[in-house]
Amino acid sequence: MALKKATDSTGLRPVEDRDYTRDTDGLVAQLNDADISVRRWAARDLAAHPRAAAALCARLAQESDASVRAVLFSSAARLGGSGVVNALLPLLRSEDAGLRNGAIEVLAGLPDAVTPHIDRLLKDTDSDVRIFAVNLLGNLQHAQVPQWLAQVLLHEPAVNVVGAALEVLAEVGTPETLPALRSAAQRFADDAYIGFAVDLAIVRIGAP
Amino acid sequence: MNTGTKQGRVLAPPVISDVDFQKFAEFFHRKTGIHFEPSKRYFVDKRLVERIQATGAENFRAWFVALRFGTDGAELQQLVNVMTVNETYFFRESYQFDCMVNHMLGEVAARKRPGGRIRIWSIPSSTGEEPYSIAIYLLERWALIEKYEVEILSSDIDTQVLQAAQRGIYSARSVAQLPQPYLKKYFTPCGKSESESGGEWRISRELVESVAFSHINLTDPADTRRFRDIDIVFCRNLLIYFDDLSRRVAAEAMFDTMAPGGFICLGHSESMSRMSSLFTMRRFPDAMVYQRPL
Repeated sequence: MALKKATDSTGLRPVEDRDYTRDTDGLVAQLNDADISVRRWAARDLAAHPRAAAALCARLAQESDASVRAVLFSSAARLGGSGVVNALLPLLRSEDAGLRNGAIEVLAGLPDAVTPHIDRLLKDTDSDVRIFAVNLLGNLQHAQVPQWLAQVLLHEPAVNVVGAALEVLAEVGTPETLPALRSAAQRFADDAYIGFAVDLAIVRIGAP
Repeated sequence: MNTGTKQGRVLAPPVISDVDFQKFAEFFHRKTGIHFEPSKRYFVDKRLVERIQATGAENFRAWFVALRFGTDGAELQQLVNVMTVNETYFFRESYQFDCMVNHMLGEVAARKRPGGRIRIWSIPSSTGEEPYSIAIYLLERWALIEKYEVEILSSDIDTQVLQAAQRGIYSARSVAQLPQPYLKKYFTPCGKSESESGGEWRISRELVESVAFSHINLTDPADTRRFRDIDIVFCRNLLIYFDDLSRRVAAEAMFDTMAPGGFICLGHSESMSRMSSLFTMRRFPDAMVYQRPL
């Protein structure tokens, strides 16, 4: 035994005929296969099939295996676009934290497609959804993020949502957000955490 | 010191305050896993100033806002390149090779029949120092090397470094960490003698032939599909240069190349938890690595 002499085919599995059909419909069908690895490979290959975006995202709520779910999210992120965003937004209401967080991570990477929905999310009747929207803003690559967060500080009634916004603003706040910060401190004058978080954000922004 | 000019005036270089440093350090740690202590201020500040000036930003705040909200990630990539040290040499981060021979291979071998095949994948190969280090470690420091058939695979996206790896010629700096007995056993001076070699060493053809080199793109499923049943992956200081999504895709691709229970070793400042949830962390006395669940 010992070290095997390398040959051209050492360790590399020849790819000849694929075991399963790789067209869009075939791959979508394989998302329901009993074999986890078949589902995972189908999920991965569907990243090259834009027509499958809706089916890919729909599978997320049904998929029980974490490894397949991870690849479904990655492929959704690679596909991108408004179709993926529309399919993932409902997952913000899921009871499954893994689904919610996976959706937030993908949505944060699709700023152009997600920004038309931000105002509506920040006004959702469910304060948890508003918190998740703030979490989304925390990772969103968009120049308007500080302004959206400022609006939360000025108008949001729920203290936990305001707290979440302050955490993000400690990193991305600008001098233009200072009035909103001070407004939040006044609106929640009795809340020690809000006062602390406002002070920290102001220090981080470098204001006097 | 370089200074920017604006409207004919020479500007003082930007100043990085303690708050600026803390804001940057937290952001960079969140994005890359690399943690900069205050003791690294000189190193970090110098490079931040370079990036601020290179991008034409007026000050740290303006540069940081552009970095934070830049949609193409280009500045973040530039930042990663300047903040990380790129160097390869034999026995680099050898504690992971110690972990391989002292712990990982024991668990892998326990799942194999006697004489079975063990696969180790080193990616990126770069100019070969890592896969050849693995080979030397196996021959010299793994007691069971004669009882199993070990395949070493190594891949890179850069064909030039692959060619260099197969040529197998290394500088004195590259071999400096090798114990002298190993250097004498597995290398020959390139010249007629060590003094005439110009400090260059040629690795033995036997070692070159023990590594199967291949050209691949880790984020291309068509490339990684050929790799299966890998027992140990060394993927060190590569993924840090990827964007978040590519990092996830690469981690997921490597997952599917691995046998259940296989191990993956990343660079000392890299963390799989930032990339993918597929792997579990395993702490060994020599190193912390990640494992595909059994």
